[in-house]
Amino acid sequence: MSNENVLLSIKDLHASVEEKNIIKGLNLDIKPGEVHAIMGPNGAGKSTMGYVLSGRDGYTVDSGSASLAGEDLLDMDVEDRARAGLFLAFQYPVEIPGVSNLEFLKVSVDAQREARGEESLTSAEFLKVAKEACKQVNLPVSFLKRGVNEGFSGGEKKRNEIMQMILLKPKLCILDETDSGLDIDAMQVVANGVNSQRSSERSFIVVTHYQRLLDYIKPDFVHVLADGKIVKSGDASLAKELEEQGYAWLQTEPKEDELED
Amino acid sequence: MTEQIDKALAREYEAGFVSAVESETFEPGLNEDVIRRISEVKGEPEWMLEWRLKAFRVWQEMEEPNWAHVDYEKVDFQAISYYSAPKSMKDKPKSLDEVDPELLRTYEKLGIPLVEQQMLAGVAVDAVFDSVSVVTTFREKLEEAGVIFCPISEAVHKYPELLKKYLGSVVPTKDNFFAALNCAVFTDGSFVYIPKGVRCPMELSTYFRINEQNTGQFERTLIIADEGSHVSYLEGCTAPQRDENQLHAAVVELVALDDAEIKYSTVQNWYPGDEEGKGGIYNFVTKRGICHTNAKISWTQVETGSSVTWKYPSCVLKGDNSIGEFYSVALTRGRQQADTGTKMIHIGKNTKSTIISKGISAGKSNNSYRGLVRMNPGAQGARNFTQCDSLLIGDQCGAHTFPYVESRNPSAIVEHEATTSKVSDDQMFLCQQRGIDPEKAVSMIVNGFCKEVFKELPMEFAVEAGKLLEISLEGSVG
Amino acid sequence: MSEWLQQAIAHADSIQDGFAEQRSASLALLKDTKWPNRKTEAWKYTPLRAVERSSAVIKEDSPELMPQSVLGADFLELTFVDGQLVALPDELPDGLTITMQESSIFATIKPERHLFGLVNDVLASDIVIVTVAEGVQVEQPIRINNLLSSGAQAHIRTVVELKPKSSLAVVETSEAHGNTLATAFTEYLVGAEAKLEHYRFALQTDDNVAVGGSHFKLLEKAVLNSSIIGFGSQLQRIDTDIIHAGEKADAKLNAIYLLDGQELFDLHATVEHEVPNCTTEENIRGIAADRSRAVFNGRIHIHRDAQKTLAELNNRNLLLSDKAEINTKPELEIYADDVRCAHGATIAEIDKKALYYLQTRGVSKSQAQLMLSFGFINELIDQMPNAELAEWVRPIIRDRFAQMEVK
Repeated sequence: MSNENVLLSIKDLHASVEEKNIIKGLNLDIKPGEVHAIMGPNGAGKSTMGYVLSGRDGYTVDSGSASLAGEDLLDMDVEDRARAGLFLAFQYPVEIPGVSNLEFLKVSVDAQREARGEESLTSAEFLKVAKEACKQVNLPVSFLKRGVNEGFSGGEKKRNEIMQMILLKPKLCILDETDSGLDIDAMQVVANGVNSQRSSERSFIVVTHYQRLLDYIKPDFVHVLADGKIVKSGDASLAKELEEQGYAWLQTEPKEDELED
Repeated sequence: MTEQIDKALAREYEAGFVSAVESETFEPGLNEDVIRRISEVKGEPEWMLEWRLKAFRVWQEMEEPNWAHVDYEKVDFQAISYYSAPKSMKDKPKSLDEVDPELLRTYEKLGIPLVEQQMLAGVAVDAVFDSVSVVTTFREKLEEAGVIFCPISEAVHKYPELLKKYLGSVVPTKDNFFAALNCAVFTDGSFVYIPKGVRCPMELSTYFRINEQNTGQFERTLIIADEGSHVSYLEGCTAPQRDENQLHAAVVELVALDDAEIKYSTVQNWYPGDEEGKGGIYNFVTKRGICHTNAKISWTQVETGSSVTWKYPSCVLKGDNSIGEFYSVALTRGRQQADTGTKMIHIGKNTKSTIISKGISAGKSNNSYRGLVRMNPGAQGARNFTQCDSLLIGDQCGAHTFPYVESRNPSAIVEHEATTSKVSDDQMFLCQQRGIDPEKAVSMIVNGFCKEVFKELPMEFAVEAGKLLEISLEGSVG
Repeated sequence: MSEWLQQAIAHADSIQDGFAEQRSASLALLKDTKWPNRKTEAWKYTPLRAVERSSAVIKEDSPELMPQSVLGADFLELTFVDGQLVALPDELPDGLTITMQESSIFATIKPERHLFGLVNDVLASDIVIVTVAEGVQVEQPIRINNLLSSGAQAHIRTVVELKPKSSLAVVETSEAHGNTLATAFTEYLVGAEAKLEHYRFALQTDDNVAVGGSHFKLLEKAVLNSSIIGFGSQLQRIDTDIIHAGEKADAKLNAIYLLDGQELFDLHATVEHEVPNCTTEENIRGIAADRSRAVFNGRIHIHRDAQKTLAELNNRNLLLSDKAEINTKPELEIYADDVRCAHGATIAEIDKKALYYLQTRGVSKSQAQLMLSFGFINELIDQMPNAELAEWVRPIIRDRFAQMEVK
């Protein structure tokens, strides 16, 4: 596949955590506007993939490459990857007491805008935008004044993640098990937020253990990640198949190194 | 409830008998001549005597420390005898058969496995009676593995190079008042050397017993675990019931070379004095270990005895990735006073330490945890976790926590937590309602409180420690 | 006795007022007190060299100095310049009196063990007594300004009494220019069911040497809410004692220290639970950057009779540089069994997870560190009951962070 018109390109990526290999030869290309679901059993390396791409400390790339819009991701600092348009929605967003959500959001948005060569918003302008975003994800405006994620319920934390995505307007969003711990209603709110952000310019990687979320966020492609690499790829119907049969059957099939794209 | 508990605590000291062993004892008093005589009796080489005399001169310049949260009648160092040995030891017995039967009976009464059937327990024992080591068991078997386990007085002759190199290397002569005194007058104790890569085939153990009146016990223990070796060492202490206070000022030095591991466990049951605080042992002990690269030292102590305890088994974490641990249960009752804890000095990178301290205060006793955690500038990535819990039984006792935390490295993390609680009426009621008698209930609750520490003890000791606590709490509830 | 002390107390005789008896008692104690060294537990980590070497002197003439204004706040100002009381409020609300007459409270609340407290007993020339009458709620906070001009040595003392069921807010603040030395002590008797809101700001830095204290005695059902914020200086030492002397009293103490450069800051907080059924909550947070040194000692003492006490102390520290140093010693001394007491202390670096989270949102590492450090402190500022003061101090702290070198 040529690099032309590819947003994210991962080639033969190997990565380890505390000297243990977790990602073992990952290949993935994502074009603008595409939604890719990554499914797989626990411990397959799903979350690790997001951490490696975003540059978390302690996650070492041993070989291979990853680029975003033609730029080498792996060479950049965490914040520069974010400014280049990579957004990771966390499975367990951290609480930061004492730092107000509003301040945090403004500083983040300012950094994005600066990277894009745009003027930063005035406090009043930003407040308006932030309130709008709150509404979109169904969070009370009062949450802006609270510490980042401080005392938020699981669902509120996830909605706060989606709100950040709406405000930061990234090119590529990685949703790391965003559905975990959510009931159907909360999941719908999150999915609506995500769907509202779908566009021909923006791509998504939806990491999930269950097919459930994919009823709400329809993927263009589904990949199965097992033991650090993609062992099977297909369209949305693959997710259904997995739901019915679980992951065990994958182990009985011969491992496939090539994408079935 | 409190009354019940008090009653339970008013138990007899089971190890309080006096043995009718004929002894040779020095006249009380301390001067250079006494030190020369100790050295002479032991037939020591000149260098050892010089070392002692130097320490004595240092000691004379020092002041007795007074910072601990204890209050006691100061020791008259001239009223103590610095040497006492059972007469039958003059010609040292070659085997157990030659040991004075009265001595053996003493250890039997104490439940210490010196004799055959108990040897099956597979624990090698060095028994120190007043000032001398009376017997060391299982020596041949240990020798096969290359392990040296002998009285330190013997090591002075047999392994002078090891002694010259390591004696005083962890606890320097000047370290503190009591350590300096010990350097000058120590009479015996155990010496252990584990060669490179050897895992000591059995638990090593020393039992200390003070028998004579007006004697002090100043034993000295030195354990060297060479590279990659492993040893577990147990120590137990008792003394007869006497009205005068007796001084026990020991020094223990541990050296864990690269990749070595030393586990040092103590069950201390020195005579604690009577309910009014009369008599009992002053337990002023200096214990310290040094860890080289990747080495580990683990101190576990169960302290139920002594009228006054002043003891801080510590770890100097010099080598990168070395680990220090301190697990402690200290039970005080009657008028006992304990000021005990640990020091963890983090010098190397990625060094780790864990401190778990459980203090139980009952009667009119005072029980203090005193600890120091220091992160030196070079202790990159070092970690410490400290948990100090106090349990108060009755409203006449005291439980105190004095932790010093010092950090000079931004990547080091220190966490200290302390809590205090009591045996609640609700807990007691629940147990009693379920048909458990109050004594058993208190002992269960206290045992539960100490579980984290007991699980660190070697099996035989854990049982003994549990029993000891149970005895200590017996009749504590009514 | 040190040379400095000898010179300092040579001034003692020149003061003539109604406190002579207490002063001479303190002087006698002072003469018996050993000058602290490294082995003196209360000064273990804090050398007194800065005091010994100080050339600051008690001045005869002082320039006119004005305290900083706090936007939106209207204080009753008590202003000292170089130790002399220069301004009192023109008008006082009903039930509030300010005098310089004798007081039966003077030197009875502050424990005698404080060496510089004794110095202050002897040398404070303008002792101010503030009294709030029974049942009176004073809305306007009192601000005690301790202003020092370069080269000045000053000893200021205030005694505050809240009669039963009254309420008051007091702000203690100091500003110093150049090489100065100050001892500022305040004693508070909070009567039954009275409420005291207290602030102490020690934001002067550099060459200032300050050793002072705020000491509180709480009677039955009294409520204390105290906030202390300190920057370091050549030597900045604050002792605070909270004495629960009446049942069901409640004390809350929040303290912050933020150190940079070569500053030294030492906070000793002691809580005495003398009677049953009282509560204490202490939250102490500190940050040390560059080559600074922070010392915290937090002692909670539960006396034999103080059953049903609830007391908690939490001390958290961030160390930002490998040349800085933090020494903390939380202490519990407990003589009653039916109590709930706990303390915790941590020294750590900035939370790596939070740092990463901010970075994934495009915030630069250095800015993220700044935000997290500020957030760590801001949590306590958010708890300050006086919003104007919180708004005033927040940017001062923000500026301080901006100057700190965060590694």
